[in-house]
Amino acid sequence: MILPRKQTSHVRHEPAPLPPDNRHPCGFPTEWKFPLDESKKVQSLTAIRLEAARKQIRHYPTFREQLWNQLRFRSWKHWLLQGFLLLAAMLLAVTLRRQQADSIQTLAACSVFLVFAGNICLGHVAGLFSWHMAELEQTLYLNLKQMVCIRMLEAGIADFAILSLLLILTGGKNPGDTLAALTYMLVPFLWSDTLYLHMLVHLRNTSSGFRSFALGLVCGTLALFPLAWDSAYQPEYLIIWQISAAAGLLMCIAQICRLLGSIENGDNICLN
Amino acid sequence: MPELTLDRITRHFKNKIAVDNVSLTLREGIYGFLGANGAGKTTLLRMICGVMKPSTGEIRCNGIEIGRLDGDYRYLLGYLPQDFGYYPDFTARRYLEYLAACKAVPKDLAREKVQEMLALTGLGGDQHCKIRTFSGGMLRRLGIAQALLNDPEILILDEPTAGLDPRERIRFRNIISSLSKGRIIILSTHIVSDVEFIADKILLMKQGRIIQQGTVSEVTGSITGRVWEYLAKPEEAIRLNDIFAVSNLKNEGETVRLRLVSDTCPCEGAVPADPGLEDVYLYHFEEVSEHVDNLEG
Repeated sequence: MILPRKQTSHVRHEPAPLPPDNRHPCGFPTEWKFPLDESKKVQSLTAIRLEAARKQIRHYPTFREQLWNQLRFRSWKHWLLQGFLLLAAMLLAVTLRRQQADSIQTLAACSVFLVFAGNICLGHVAGLFSWHMAELEQTLYLNLKQMVCIRMLEAGIADFAILSLLLILTGGKNPGDTLAALTYMLVPFLWSDTLYLHMLVHLRNTSSGFRSFALGLVCGTLALFPLAWDSAYQPEYLIIWQISAAAGLLMCIAQICRLLGSIENGDNICLN
Repeated sequence: MPELTLDRITRHFKNKIAVDNVSLTLREGIYGFLGANGAGKTTLLRMICGVMKPSTGEIRCNGIEIGRLDGDYRYLLGYLPQDFGYYPDFTARRYLEYLAACKAVPKDLAREKVQEMLALTGLGGDQHCKIRTFSGGMLRRLGIAQALLNDPEILILDEPTAGLDPRERIRFRNIISSLSKGRIIILSTHIVSDVEFIADKILLMKQGRIIQQGTVSEVTGSITGRVWEYLAKPEEAIRLNDIFAVSNLKNEGETVRLRLVSDTCPCEGAVPADPGLEDVYLYHFEEVSEHVDNLEG
């Protein structure tokens, strides 16, 4: 049975004025309180303080905080290298423009540069698996998988900045040309990154520097092939470049998923 | 207070079983995992840490599978891997600050904790030195400092005293002992003295299985009547050494005092002795060492 709710009045009842001797009309003193047991009060407060001190207050950092935590511990060498890469990209683009290099030479030079820049940026991701830190990092609140994602994001932003710079300074006058240039540059870059990630998972014990250098050399040389074959950048072959870029993108995503899956499963990659 | 439950944990690597159907419940206290190299201790600890997934079975913390707890579980963890890693260009202080940030320790508290851990492990004077300049013992101490940074409720230490000198080892034991209240501390080692005095429970691991567990007295009590002392002549001592597991051998003038581990009386004149944890280790792992020796030979 549902009982009807008691009607509450919104009229505020003011307390009746006290008689001048502070006594209730019934005769009891109105300010009377139960006497406090001071020793019990101290005991209770001490117990509360102890319990409060023992209680761990958890701190859940936000994504922004975690990102900042990762960035603030990067060495000055890291930032110097990033700055150097951007500067080099700018210099390359300006030089190519000044020399009025033809589009084939420009695209080939930018492709090679992008391959090396991609390798260097991915090298920071690979750094997480060096120095036997992976196993320990996997047990931290911000674990290895999350760290890899943050560094990938960082590498992606750096690559994007370099690519944009190269496209702005060397791209064609109409959007169609720019899009085509983007495709030509992306193909060697995506395949080089795919190979890098593949080698990271499967050839973990290879020295990081050697891996970067060897791969950069191989992919950089392959990126130069249009210099030997003049018609490679002709519009009729654009579709092949586009298919290669799409395949490279898919493969790159697959390799990233594979890397993250390996970490999740505790495969050799994250064991010391 | 966390409670860890290992429910029929098995882990294989291709066709080799590293951990075989291990079930355990761990509550507050220090647990010492003892076993020969290759017994599966490190694999088991890696699974408890969540670095590796069991092939079958489940690990639960307070009844919830640790994979589901994800970051909340790692928040409780402090781990020192057997092969401890570091960024050589970092100073000790910066390294600890970095790990404190990754362990979600608030920035203000992190500063305090880093200072406290540096002092606790005796690295205060070297806090601004690059880690690449550290000796093996200093690295190990740094490893212990990082494991304790977040005041972990579950502390897992794999071979924590490797590379420490006796004084550092005693210091480490005292630190661990003082931290045991309100925590689960798991120590894996093959150095018996590391756990003999501080562990509340000893777990003996052999070929991926827990073959025995209990307090030190329970474990040592299990081989009562199997430890013998015998005063032998030198040539007899050599012969007995070849036949039986000898846990101690001491020259006493013209004779040699032997401490032998054997199911039956090894020779006439041998008297029973009180077993220690080293005797238990030798009793269970003698054949493993022989196996390893044979392989190495």
